[in-house]
Amino acid sequence: MRAMTLALKRKQWEPLAFASPALLLIALVIVFPLVYAFYLSLQNFDLSVGADYEYVGAKNYVEALFRDQRFLGSVWNTAAIIAPSLAVELLLGLGLALLLGRVIRGRPVITALLAIPAMVSPVMGAMAWRMMYGVKYGAINNLGRQLGLLDVYFDWFGSPVISVIAVVLVEIWLNTPFMMLVLLAGLQSIPQELYESAKVDGATAWQAFWSITLPLLKFTMAVGVMIRLIDLTKLFGLIFILTFGGPGGATETVAFDTYLVGFKDFRMSYASALSFVIVGGVLVLTLVFLWVQRMREARAG
Amino acid sequence: MAIAIERSGVTTRRARRYRARRFIGHALVYLGLTVALVFFLGPFFWIVTTSLKGNEDFFAYPPVWIPSPPSLRHYAGLFTRSSGARYFTNSMVISTLSMLSALAVSLPTAYSIARWRFGGGFLSTLLLVLRMLPAIALIIPIYIMYKMLGLTNSYLGLVVIYTVVYIPFAVWLLVGFIRDFPIEIEDAAMIDGCSRLRAVVQVMVPIIAPGMAVVALFAFIATWNEFLFAIVLTGIETKTMMVLVTSFTTGGTDAFYGEASASVVLGVLPAFAIAFILQRYLVKGLALGGTKG
Repeated sequence: MRAMTLALKRKQWEPLAFASPALLLIALVIVFPLVYAFYLSLQNFDLSVGADYEYVGAKNYVEALFRDQRFLGSVWNTAAIIAPSLAVELLLGLGLALLLGRVIRGRPVITALLAIPAMVSPVMGAMAWRMMYGVKYGAINNLGRQLGLLDVYFDWFGSPVISVIAVVLVEIWLNTPFMMLVLLAGLQSIPQELYESAKVDGATAWQAFWSITLPLLKFTMAVGVMIRLIDLTKLFGLIFILTFGGPGGATETVAFDTYLVGFKDFRMSYASALSFVIVGGVLVLTLVFLWVQRMREARAG
Repeated sequence: MAIAIERSGVTTRRARRYRARRFIGHALVYLGLTVALVFFLGPFFWIVTTSLKGNEDFFAYPPVWIPSPPSLRHYAGLFTRSSGARYFTNSMVISTLSMLSALAVSLPTAYSIARWRFGGGFLSTLLLVLRMLPAIALIIPIYIMYKMLGLTNSYLGLVVIYTVVYIPFAVWLLVGFIRDFPIEIEDAAMIDGCSRLRAVVQVMVPIIAPGMAVVALFAFIATWNEFLFAIVLTGIETKTMMVLVTSFTTGGTDAFYGEASASVVLGVLPAFAIAFILQRYLVKGLALGGTKG
């Protein structure tokens, strides 16, 4: 125990006073709008009809969860983008982290170079890829033709399945570096002695990987995957630029569908209800995340 | 081991085989990383060369991968015809102001948490929940409120929302930096008669300044990259770079290569700079949501 120091002593009001500007702003700009949005979600406010609205109860939520085929479809689309993205990001990120762990010279530079896509805005990344996917002058078709792999101008957004794959590829490009950084940090926290004693005991590199690296990296992987999962539910900018939800709504995500309902159809109440359905989903995911964190801390402590 | 054997001058067959295997192992590591570098940096290379092509180079087949001579005409076009200069300035101003105000608001809060455990578990859970909160849930009420208050299409509106959205992240990182600052130094200053405010501003801040710079740079890049609030809340005068690129997406995937690629180059420039400056902090910052606002 440390003796009470002068810096720790405080007047009663000081802690609250120091925190009050932030708390006030959070209350005004986040909490109040959320409450207001919840109130709106129980009305039938539709700006395309007029400024008047009335209370309709849970009607919007019932419509969103049971009747709105477009929204339910967008839930499915989001899942169809998330699942392969997460799987590839995890495997590729792990592979890169393992490779980086073996680099002797130039590791910081290579790591920083590989990390750049994670810092780039999804909008800019998507715009670059949109141009690379270009039918006649895009880099991918040009390269494919030059190498003799493609003999026609291929339309990467022509069919729903290929569009989803194209979106997933950009998502992987944008966020594998994040997974790589997280896993690299996890790898570096594994004590080297474990590998040395395994070597003394005659373990092969493969055995060491399965019985030391993977078990000790499990929780780091879980945290990385959870963070990506939660962020992927917000997938919006990438879709906006790359496909605008097309073709035929095949790449419409939940966030993008909500945006369209709110700012194309101007159905404010219904969009609020949709956004609360998304918040509910994210909240569940957050609780799982907290639980994973706690498990990890329990292990570590 | 290999070195010891070499020194003694006895090169056994086993040592040679060991070295050969190690050499192949290293070669494979660097080969794999080279492939990864091509995949992750290739698009940047292509976008930069594309932005420097003249029109005849876009349409040439076989494709021109490296334009010669490079031409800056698309940058000129972006700045004159598409008001690129104005939107670049908007992004700069909004990001800088948001960064400064997020820091100013978060520092005292972080201090209160780090030194007095203000708010306990509740506040840290609240901050985590806010970090997870999808922006889409805020945009509708914020849009309606801003419309009523006349805050759409203004710097102030965007700066306010960015500041607040950024508080959880900034507080989180700052708490760590303040905890690392030895309380004895602060104590000594206060015993010498400093008020708490002076002890914080004149003694602590200069020492934790590098940490604050990290937070500031993450805040800058996050607001620079933000898209949803920007596209809904900005108008003709206040568009940011992220909103500008949407104007190049109409008219098929092959249109507007020149100015579009030039604006992407300008749009990713800060990310490049900051990725290198923040190398050591990338994991922590990215994990807490540092770049995707």
